[in-house]
Amino acid sequence: MKWSVIWDYREALWTGLALTLQITALSMIGALFLGTMLACLKQLPSYVLGRLIATYVEVIRNLPSVVKVFFLYFVVGLDAMPAAVIGLSMHQGSYICDVLDSGFRSIPREQSEAAWAGGLTRAQISLFVLLPQVWRIVLPPLTSQFIEILKNSAAAMLLGVGELTFQTQNIDVETFRGFEAATAVTLLYLTLALAIVGAAKLIETRLRWQ
Amino acid sequence: MAVTDGAFGPTQPTALEHWGWRIFIAVSVLLFAYLLRGQRWEVVAASSHFLLKSLGISWLLTIASIAIGLPTGIILAVLRKAGPIGLRQLATGIIEIIRATPQLMLIFWVFFAVPAVTGQKVPPWTAAIVSLSMIAAAYLAEVIRAGIGSVPVIQIESGLATGLTRSQILLSIVLPQALRNMLPALLATLVMMFKITSLIYVVGITDFFRAVILINNREFEPVVLYTTLAVGYFVCCSLLSWVLRRLDPNYVLNH
Repeated sequence: MKWSVIWDYREALWTGLALTLQITALSMIGALFLGTMLACLKQLPSYVLGRLIATYVEVIRNLPSVVKVFFLYFVVGLDAMPAAVIGLSMHQGSYICDVLDSGFRSIPREQSEAAWAGGLTRAQISLFVLLPQVWRIVLPPLTSQFIEILKNSAAAMLLGVGELTFQTQNIDVETFRGFEAATAVTLLYLTLALAIVGAAKLIETRLRWQ
Repeated sequence: MAVTDGAFGPTQPTALEHWGWRIFIAVSVLLFAYLLRGQRWEVVAASSHFLLKSLGISWLLTIASIAIGLPTGIILAVLRKAGPIGLRQLATGIIEIIRATPQLMLIFWVFFAVPAVTGQKVPPWTAAIVSLSMIAAAYLAEVIRAGIGSVPVIQIESGLATGLTRSQILLSIVLPQALRNMLPALLATLVMMFKITSLIYVVGITDFFRAVILINNREFEPVVLYTTLAVGYFVCCSLLSWVLRRLDPNYVLNH
């Protein structure tokens, strides 16, 4: 075993880490935005809108994330990075929509009825009465969705984006030191996942404090 | 009639909405077919046998990974829940590390790391089945742990009181009930595993995903082939999801 290979390839791993973080962060924002929007729209008392969103979520959930990323790259013709980010946002966004939807359902209906009686519009009720409470409830399942995004970001390597998994394969091809590289990168992924969990814990205590 | 449910209460569709929705879906499907009519569909027709065979390989990998992953997952879950100190932490560590690592990375691990330690190349099929089973075992272990947790403690206590041994209680009281309670979650893992098999093409096995990529490399008809890819995966996963919802008792309440 020759661990110095990791030091020799620090530049490559550094670039890989930066790209992984970039894809993950952008997809997190995209997925959270999409998921929140869909979940809020799903609460509106419209049959067609509800069915439309449910169908969209069902279609997206029944396709592997790689298929979506490849579809965006080869059929829609996006570049590798946008294809990965949009694909991952669409994929996890529909899961986040479901998570938030169950959060909305867990709030007693009397609250929205009381707010309705108080003269608030439906948009106001969703945004200012329900959503702040929903965030608190769904934070733990939302954290695992964010870790899923981090894990799925490895799919970008299949389009040739030089993120962490790509660099691991590259190191293996060039030096046959796949074991050392894979160990180092797995530890990096674990650290990133733990960082996401830590950040969520921090937000959770902050939310409870208010 | 189906009812959609939101924060403002259930919405009963009017007859217009009920039929309008169905007509809308039918029109969208027809429009989609119309837009794709001019493509070279003979590419798919010519290699339909190859595509179906590769789809079978995807199913085979899914079923094999679940078949190996389920017993392994039961062992991991029992160790995590009630194992001796040391083994319990080990099981927790294995489950959490596998669940937090990208699946592609795990496949690479088995494909690259094992040769580095043993000095022998791993055949692609072994690498595929081992890595997929590892992933299935870790996820199933968590499903089973939740299933075991759903069995009331009083049943275990009653078993102890009547003089059954711990392994008897586990095998004849806890696991049968746990497996029944977790059937929906088990099938959800099956859907997940089917989607994960799309990553296995990196070790060189011609599953459905790789078959489409291979044909596309030769013919370069991305629109036709990737549409086929998406439809193939969607049909298979929807089939599994449909069975899943039939089995889920909550489904009956909603509809």
